[in-house]
Amino acid sequence: MQDLRLESKKKVLAIKDLPTLPQVLAEVSKLLEDPTVSTEKVAQVISKDQVLSAKVLKMVNSPIYGFPRRISTIQHALVLLGFNVIKGLIISTSVFDIMNQSMIGLWEHSLGCALASSTIAKKVKLKDPEEYAVAGLLHDLGKVIALVQLPELKAEVEELVKKEDIPYYVAEKKVMGFGHDRINAWLADYWHLPLRLREGLAWHHQVQSAQHYPEMAAVVHLADFITRLFEVGFAGDDNVSKLDARAFKILKLTPNLFEEILDELVDNFLELSDFKPED
Amino acid sequence: MDKREFFLISNSTDLLNELKSIFPDATWSIFERGAEAIEYFFNSPPSLLLIDSELKDISSAYLVELFKSENVYRQVPVILILSKENLSSFDLNHLEIDDFFLKPIDKAEVSSRINLSLNRAARALDANPLTKLPGNTSIIKKIQSLIDQKKEFALAYVDLDHFKSFNDKYGFSRGDEVLMMTARIIVNTIRAFGSKDSFVGHVGGDDFVFILPPDKVEQACQMIIQSFDSIVPNFYDPEDRERECIVSTDRQGQVRTFPLMAISIAVVFNYGQLHHYGEAAQIAMNLKKIAKKNPKSSYVLDKRKSAQ
Repeated sequence: MQDLRLESKKKVLAIKDLPTLPQVLAEVSKLLEDPTVSTEKVAQVISKDQVLSAKVLKMVNSPIYGFPRRISTIQHALVLLGFNVIKGLIISTSVFDIMNQSMIGLWEHSLGCALASSTIAKKVKLKDPEEYAVAGLLHDLGKVIALVQLPELKAEVEELVKKEDIPYYVAEKKVMGFGHDRINAWLADYWHLPLRLREGLAWHHQVQSAQHYPEMAAVVHLADFITRLFEVGFAGDDNVSKLDARAFKILKLTPNLFEEILDELVDNFLELSDFKPED
Repeated sequence: MDKREFFLISNSTDLLNELKSIFPDATWSIFERGAEAIEYFFNSPPSLLLIDSELKDISSAYLVELFKSENVYRQVPVILILSKENLSSFDLNHLEIDDFFLKPIDKAEVSSRINLSLNRAARALDANPLTKLPGNTSIIKKIQSLIDQKKEFALAYVDLDHFKSFNDKYGFSRGDEVLMMTARIIVNTIRAFGSKDSFVGHVGGDDFVFILPPDKVEQACQMIIQSFDSIVPNFYDPEDRERECIVSTDRQGQVRTFPLMAISIAVVFNYGQLHHYGEAAQIAMNLKKIAKKNPKSSYVLDKRKSAQ
């Protein structure tokens, strides 16, 4: 198992390119044709695609720019990279044909989780809710990577989910010995992402392990749960994830406040459905 | 054009004559023996050193090494003149030459190569080692050339408030992160305006300058301030970021607090009234004192612009 893990880690980190939503790519390219377009506007569109967002954050946090692990929002990344670099990134990003139905479901789930994360962060009055949205958006990136780099294992995982009706990450662990949360942690380190994001990406299934930013892990954990509860998108299995009560404690979230969050998200998720990736 | 003093170390007068015909305006000095050149080039280094690989008295590689191992001469481009046969006998992984060309020389190629070496050396010398932005020489040149052309422009001097206390608490390498970030913000903001005569330079430390057309500069200042203020908290440790100030103990053992870093910008305008870049710098320094009075990020525009 140890060998498989090391081998898989190597494969995962060797990732060259990842599938991106063609509509998002096209929309960003179009926006960039206008030299006076604002970074806010471009950031908003890039934030609809977890892969493009991850690429932007990977680039801005790379040591060549001189401030690794510092930047955790798309808006800041765009200010620091500049449109020139973003244009280059868009040109070099390929559109994959593996964007099948289940993948699109995963994109929707990620987008839903981003929205839920920022809503929760705002409700419990955390600073910089935008960073929580990014962690929510990227929390299942490991699943996309596994699909591209470890396709044989991925098929096995999916089969096991169906056969045993278990959560996706439990099946991942049974088949591969590690879950997408582990892949997330590898990537976060390898790409020099800020620790704050890493905690959300690596510990959203294991809130108690987040040592530095427990509220980040708690927010993404809760957001993942809510997004599944409302059946926004598809995260690989039909289970509503197990809710960890510690998340409530960390965020000092009362039942009343939780209800408020749910109410708000009912409306927000509806608005989200305006954006259908398959359009 | 800057003065051009070229040294050639070679036994061949034919080579000298050929090179002279390529750069007739340069001041040429020729040394037949390598040994006699050493004292000369140490005392008054040339703007270009050309070394023939076939010297009679000492090895050309030794000359190169001797010259380049002294930090003060490193910026002088050194070009080795080789024959195709002895090209492989030089280890270019270790020999610190800037370029080479082959005998018999091709005049057009040698002319371009020498120009390229001179320009490359000038760029490398002037660039800020951290941000790689143009440094003082380029900044002064740019300002003076705009003044001489009677172009209208706005010249902005940028610096950071409380950068020193950040450096004191977090150390130089964390300070460098902030400078790299600041440089990126300024460069991207200025480039977004897409003006032909725009320019960004790094004077050194936390001092930057940029140039834009007068009608664009105020918006640029606002954008830079907005970006800087929203990004800079990321560069502090969580506790400081949370309380929005840094707490440190000074040498007297006193606990002191400093606000988060802010950015100050002073803008001078030229509508043809400036004659020398020094005037612009002087006005800017006075404006900066006003900008600095505000503990938050701020910009000050030279009021005299309306009088013009």
